[in-house]
Amino acid sequence: MPRKTSPALVLVLALLGFGIVTAAQSATETRKAEQPRKERLIALIQQRRSQIGDLDKAVGELRGQLGDEQRRVSRANRSVADNTRQQQTLAAQAGTSAVKGAGVRVKVSDADTIPDDATEAEAYRISDLDLQLLVNALWGAGAEAIAVNGNRVVATTSIRQAGETIVVNFRPLSPPYRLDAIGADSTRFANSDIARRMRHWHTLFGLGFSTQRVDKLIAPAFAGRVGIDVASPKDEGP
Amino acid sequence: MFALLGLLFGALVAIAVHPTVSQELGRYVAMAVVAALDASLGGVRAYLEHTFNDRIFVVAFAANAIVAIALVWIGDQLGVDLVTAIVVVFGVRIFQNVAALRRRVFGG
Repeated sequence: MPRKTSPALVLVLALLGFGIVTAAQSATETRKAEQPRKERLIALIQQRRSQIGDLDKAVGELRGQLGDEQRRVSRANRSVADNTRQQQTLAAQAGTSAVKGAGVRVKVSDADTIPDDATEAEAYRISDLDLQLLVNALWGAGAEAIAVNGNRVVATTSIRQAGETIVVNFRPLSPPYRLDAIGADSTRFANSDIARRMRHWHTLFGLGFSTQRVDKLIAPAFAGRVGIDVASPKDEGP
Repeated sequence: MFALLGLLFGALVAIAVHPTVSQELGRYVAMAVVAALDASLGGVRAYLEHTFNDRIFVVAFAANAIVAIALVWIGDQLGVDLVTAIVVVFGVRIFQNVAALRRRVFGG
């Protein structure tokens, strides 16, 4: 069917070709532009994390300086000395000073292979509840100070889950989890409910669980603000 | 034949000029292209059915593109994602046209 091609048709098709290529190019450019944004976000998160670390360290140093100054003043004055001693006792109990000593180190971690099924996968991961129970069991075993991956556990500490990440003192943790409990008794801990359950889950699901006695443990000072208005030390039980 | 050369020429011009389209306008261009693609396939179908008419094709082409752009714009104003509607409608039509072409070319 011989037919004279109209110039309008040629023009319209030229427009179509132009449009297709333009749309494809702009879509590719949009995708390329989104790539560095992701990297920038990751860099920002890492930068802010290191900032938090620096500030934590600064708080620790300032608290140490404050303690030194108080000790210096207390040498001159008797009533201040009493105050300072009381303050040091309270600080150790509140967790705002670092504690060193012998204790138990508990290591827990997710299973090596985690099934795809979301409901099943839960059994193969360490949850916030597991850590809460472990911390409570360590208190029960006589611990004086506990740190989870270097985060001191104090009266106001929360152990929570945000998605798949466990957050302690509002700091995200990355597995494996290391619980250092100074003054805890390893046999008493090993006899606790959660330790028994963890041993069972270790064989059943392959969750990482190990307990060891360590002579030199350090629980760093709590760097956050202790938001307690009224508190008194509990009397030692019989 | 000249029409296909026109298509090639347009593509080459776009590659050579490399026009930059902002992300916001990129959606409009993409929708216009989808609509134009439907019109072109309709044109090929009409050609094979011997009912092709230059003027109808050009008008259908322009109307499709304009309506698509207008719909995206209205959707943006209303805060409704009408892009999906356009993609679905023209997607279905493109498949129908391709099916008609296939039947015409291969029979059956």
